[in-house]
Amino acid sequence: MSKMERKTVVDPGFDETIRNLTPEQIEKTVNYVLEKEAAARLKAYVETCIHCGLCNEACHFYISYDRDPSYTPVAKVRHTIWDMMQKKGKVDAETLKMYARIGFTECNICRRCSMYCPFGIDIGYMMILVRRICSLLKVAPLYLQDQGYSHMYTYSQSWLAQDDWVDTVQFVEDELRMDIRNARLPLDKEGAEIMYSPHSLEAKFKTNLLSNIAKIMNVARADWTMPSFDGWDSTNQAMHLGDNETMGMVERMHFNAGMKLKVKKIVTSE
Amino acid sequence: MYNFLTSIAFYNFLKGPMVWIAFIVFICGSTYRLVELIMLARKDKVVYPYLSLKYSFRSLVHWLFPFGSRNMRLHPWMTFFAFTFHIGLLLTPVFLYPHVMLWNKAWGFRWWSLPEDFADIMTLAVIFCCVFFIIRRMFAPEVRFITYASDYIIIAIAAAPFITGFLAFHQFVFPYRAVLILHIILGEIMLMAIPFTRLNHMFFFWLTRAHTGSEFGVFRHSKDY
Repeated sequence: MSKMERKTVVDPGFDETIRNLTPEQIEKTVNYVLEKEAAARLKAYVETCIHCGLCNEACHFYISYDRDPSYTPVAKVRHTIWDMMQKKGKVDAETLKMYARIGFTECNICRRCSMYCPFGIDIGYMMILVRRICSLLKVAPLYLQDQGYSHMYTYSQSWLAQDDWVDTVQFVEDELRMDIRNARLPLDKEGAEIMYSPHSLEAKFKTNLLSNIAKIMNVARADWTMPSFDGWDSTNQAMHLGDNETMGMVERMHFNAGMKLKVKKIVTSE
Repeated sequence: MYNFLTSIAFYNFLKGPMVWIAFIVFICGSTYRLVELIMLARKDKVVYPYLSLKYSFRSLVHWLFPFGSRNMRLHPWMTFFAFTFHIGLLLTPVFLYPHVMLWNKAWGFRWWSLPEDFADIMTLAVIFCCVFFIIRRMFAPEVRFITYASDYIIIAIAAAPFITGFLAFHQFVFPYRAVLILHIILGEIMLMAIPFTRLNHMFFFWLTRAHTGSEFGVFRHSKDY
């Protein structure tokens, strides 16, 4: 069997948090997720897989790494979820880092492999479980963790709170009036046809993108609006962490914004 | 020891009570595993609400016919061997003339059986497919990387009754009765192993396929084949 050889990944989100973990914490978290949250489907998937390796053709990581066998979907599952199940969560920090490296940096959960598996095994689901276990232990890329916290504290991806958002909309409107007379970025217009919800970064770094869409809407004379309250951000980075609780909160907030404004359509950017 | 193992008494035990035990373990074990999974799936919020008969059926049809899915077309040889293997594995034991006669002697009913030559070809095909799988496991790097001892054991469990059956039927080289008894033991081991090893993809296949097919059809409006 050939080896899994990788360059060392340095990320404070992996290396620094992993130092503070005790083996008991790791074991408890792994077993909680595998037994309490993931019982039925995971069991069916793990006990059905016959290791045929037919999923490999689907994986763009496998193909772009010159068909390195350690990048096949089944190998990634084998070295994460199955490894955890076999060891019943009794793993050391180095192994946990391997799980996190595979889960976060070697699979982007596109789920193409489920379409190639003869049994329809949802490999993406198993990889998101790996991400969930790792992020519950706070072992995740620092940048992604940071965005997850931002969702929790400011309800937007980029640490942009609601008052900053309203402020941004106002100055974008001011600037847009240099191009279009009486241009409007209407906030909280109840019963509008379209609710536009921007990417968080449109409000923080790339306001010209928000300005562009506003220009289109104004010229097209669309009946549109944006919420002034939380839920204006259409992004959801908690999803990539497997942080289901925050993910649910963010999605609900976004959907509720549309319901509150009684809009017919929600248009998201990107 | 050898005398006992090839004795009529042992043969009668294997042909009588042991068959009952094997079938009871197989049927009860499989039922237990299925019911356990189905009950467990009720706790999973996204299993039952996702199921759709139409899309489960669409998915199953595409994956049960050779070259019905894209991945099968990408691996024509694997598809050919896998289908030959599974058809042979399921049909040959059920419709083999001596097997049918055993049922006939025990319970008095009989059904259609395969011509001898055809059954021979099927048996050899199954054995050959197993050899192909083993070679593939040993030499294809992406499969070798994830191959463990259990994968070879599973192939061995499936192949052994066919090899011994073929030898017993043609009475090659080895003493007939010893090989026959070995054949019966291995067949019973295979039956009993199905619920408790990954051979239970025989039953779980339908469930995982149906769930994934439904999800792709109903929620993603895309194909899963």
